[in-house]
Amino acid sequence: MGELYDDWRIVSLSPWPTWALALLGLLAVAGVVLAARGLRKERRTGRRWSLLALRTISMLAALFVVLEPGVRLLQTSKVRSRLAILVDGSASMQLPTAAKGSSRSAEAAAWLSAVAPRLAALESDYSLEYYRFDEALTPIEGSAAQAGIDADGESTDILGALRSLGGTSQAGRKLAGAIVISDGADHVDLKSGLVGAARKTLESLQIPISTVAVGAGEVKDLAIESIAVEDFAFVRNTVDLQATIVASGMGRLDVPVVLRREGQVVSQQTLHVVPEESRYRLDFSFVPDEIGEFVFTLGAPVYEGEAIESNNSRSFVLKVIRDRVRTLLVVGRPSWDQRFLRTMLKNDPNVDLISFFILRTPQDQPKAAESELSLIPFPVEEIFDRQLKSFDLVIFQNFAYRPYRMDHYLPNIRRYVEEGGAFVMLGGENSFGEGGYDLTPLGEILPVEPAGSGPNEELFAPRLTDSGLRHPITELAASAEANQGAWGRLPRLPGLNVTKAKPGASVLLDHPHLTVGGENAPVLAVGEFGRGRSMALTTDSSWFWSIVASGEGGGTSRAYERIWSNSIRWLVRDPELTPVLVQAVQRSLEPGQPVAATITVRRADYGPASGAAVEVSLVDVESGHTLRADPLTAGADGTARVEFESPGPGAYKLEAKASVDGRPLGVGQDVVAVRAASLERSDVKTRPELLRAISELTGGAFVQASDRQLPALSLTPPEVVEVGRAKDRPIWDRFWPLAVLAACLGSEWILRRRWGYV
Amino acid sequence: MGLLVVLAGLPLRAEAFGETSRLVIAQGRYDGNWNPRPTALRRLAFEIGIRTSISTLPEEKILPLDSAELFRFPFLYLAGTDALPSLSQAELDNLRRYVNYGGFIFCDDAGDGRFAASCEREVARMLPGQSAGRIPSDHVLYKAFYLIDRPAGRTLARPYLSAFMDGSRIAVVISANDLGGAWARDELGSWEYEVVPGGESQREYAFRLGVNLAMYSMCSDYKDDQVHLPFIMKRRR
Repeated sequence: MGELYDDWRIVSLSPWPTWALALLGLLAVAGVVLAARGLRKERRTGRRWSLLALRTISMLAALFVVLEPGVRLLQTSKVRSRLAILVDGSASMQLPTAAKGSSRSAEAAAWLSAVAPRLAALESDYSLEYYRFDEALTPIEGSAAQAGIDADGESTDILGALRSLGGTSQAGRKLAGAIVISDGADHVDLKSGLVGAARKTLESLQIPISTVAVGAGEVKDLAIESIAVEDFAFVRNTVDLQATIVASGMGRLDVPVVLRREGQVVSQQTLHVVPEESRYRLDFSFVPDEIGEFVFTLGAPVYEGEAIESNNSRSFVLKVIRDRVRTLLVVGRPSWDQRFLRTMLKNDPNVDLISFFILRTPQDQPKAAESELSLIPFPVEEIFDRQLKSFDLVIFQNFAYRPYRMDHYLPNIRRYVEEGGAFVMLGGENSFGEGGYDLTPLGEILPVEPAGSGPNEELFAPRLTDSGLRHPITELAASAEANQGAWGRLPRLPGLNVTKAKPGASVLLDHPHLTVGGENAPVLAVGEFGRGRSMALTTDSSWFWSIVASGEGGGTSRAYERIWSNSIRWLVRDPELTPVLVQAVQRSLEPGQPVAATITVRRADYGPASGAAVEVSLVDVESGHTLRADPLTAGADGTARVEFESPGPGAYKLEAKASVDGRPLGVGQDVVAVRAASLERSDVKTRPELLRAISELTGGAFVQASDRQLPALSLTPPEVVEVGRAKDRPIWDRFWPLAVLAACLGSEWILRRRWGYV
Repeated sequence: MGLLVVLAGLPLRAEAFGETSRLVIAQGRYDGNWNPRPTALRRLAFEIGIRTSISTLPEEKILPLDSAELFRFPFLYLAGTDALPSLSQAELDNLRRYVNYGGFIFCDDAGDGRFAASCEREVARMLPGQSAGRIPSDHVLYKAFYLIDRPAGRTLARPYLSAFMDGSRIAVVISANDLGGAWARDELGSWEYEVVPGGESQREYAFRLGVNLAMYSMCSDYKDDQVHLPFIMKRRR
């Protein structure tokens, strides 16, 4: 067949179409059948078989001539199938194989080195392809795999890697099988084991996958695997939190698990670890008493010999919000001012109102037995001692404290405001100086002090001051001009406690002509005391802004509602009204993720502070150290953006300080938590059972890396495919097929003649 | 209940702040017998002043029903012996606005029931789609200050009060029992009308109802707040 060709096959060289050849074939069969029918009465079997044999040989010879058979000479070559060797390059491979053992990555390399000669023997039939896999699949050199790879991938995705290999031919070559060398710590598709869609996907690959399990020993480690808690909670409402803690190789131990809010212990539980169990659930509950964003850290002590120390604590951010503004309204006597304020607060869905009215004073004589009255004791101690901190806002409306022996509760109210509470005093004959408050601790928190003169009952039109023009409390309309107009349309008010503003207070409304010490007497003033805020409305006729404004002017009571709604928002520090608002783009960050935030700065008049200098710093909550700082300038809309490189695991505060021309505008902050470690880096458990299941499902083999053996891989044999040249050589043009045809037909004709068939 | 509103010290009175800081009852003037009991409100204001912490002015403010000044006096007293004449559109509009923005109206029939019936008719015109309903005996009006079982006046012509609502608040109360007749007292200190059938104790109940009406107009459903309920339930038993 010639040296160039190493294979051959018989082919038809006939130019006739297939159907014609098939028809001729049928005719040949018919020729034999007709002959057989004609000879069926012949009893002499010798004659019958001789004639039939001659006919059959004739027909075959005729077919041979028609089919023009030939020999195709072929030049062929054997193609090696692919054998993929996948080495786990995820971060969990950095962990030890067992307590104080070598790294899993080193163990994988050792196995590859040990079986290298046997793998080399496979190279005649298989092309060995080495890959490293984590969240992606990357080709590597075999030598690199044997030397040990740098395992730093953030996840283990075995199924994804196998899918990327492809179950069918690639570049004309078939995948004969795969060897996966891993610890099996897959937290992606095979997280829950070989079930459901993952199982079907693996089956559909249709290749034998052999698995090599690295590290089956028990590693000593305690890890807070996960924390289930809502992103936000309501202040003074119980927050429930479930922590999943994984313990391995810890023996029998009682572990104190502590929940802290920025260093302060919030709750504590003891975890009873036993050797028989590895996964535990601990439930924590606590009641946040402050509004804001806080970093909480759940932590357990680090024990000697633990594989990973950083997974013993985990931080998360909880946003504590107010469900409703819990307001305490204390009223000295029923009045129209009280009537309209209470109705409005009661109807406000954002306010949870608790009110106490003094319906009977010491001088009053109800002319009835106590049992005929609906009065209740005024629970002074309950309100001003035990419950005071539960309120967001306390309003004193024409309330005289002296008859109720409240002197020793007034310091509580001052402390309450100092610690972040809000207090309002409304005018009346028992308020401010008239009520003797100037000499009490409440005198310290109020933004005004008595002028020393008695109340003034003349009608007056409150005047919007410069501060009031843009202050959120007195903002009845968007523009300054419209705001002035809205205030100008409100009715004049009778009755004023004559006071003067304290240094540092903001007077938003004042009397148009009544002056005290050269300054117009304040009507509405606000101030800050400690972390809290206070407001003084020195008249008892603000109800005129409701029914009188709507009746006499044909207007509405909207101004009254707006003023109070604005006041409450400002008093309880509605985040939207903060001069420096820091908003982290994301509060819970993965390791390595940058910390980004937007800072919105408002001027004292609450307009956007364009061009303000903003100093942003990232502060470690635990140590209080400033890690990074960035000077920024606010844009035209008063906002600035900052991005800090990831500071590593832990809890951090983003603090911003803003100023314009050196004058401070305020400070603001937000919090972020960078996760201590990803599951990939914190879960020390190996999963040899998963690897065994993969090999069993796909028809591969399973082996422990520590055995240093290459198992029987059950690979698909390599395919032989034709390549190169082919040459056809006809057979029919030889003499002998025609000679056979002529001889047989002639012999049959002679015998038939002789034996009397024709 | 000895702690009942601890009694010590003497808070100041409200005179210094003018009339709007005190309860001044407005009395509606209309064409007809609008003031059958001229001394009644003065006496009621006096009694409210000495019985409760509400600061009152013993001088009613007489205003026509279409007056804009009405809005400075959110308690309006309407009395009569005969049917209330059909109100003008301006009066109806003014009173509707008054009620919608928080005003309270008390209609007191000093006659034979025609005034009460006509008030129901006119208020129904004022508040389209609404009709008078009976105030249930467990309504907060009956426990606003005194615990009251049933409404009494100079007479007991009708054992209930009728009301029109503004949302959940009673905006208009209509009585057919001539409360003004029980409250009226002349300059010499004599009661002007005999109270039947209950005599002086019934007069006391008429004052108590008057006090509760004033208290309700100023405190609305304050006594329905959760904190009061255990005490009130105990006394009601």
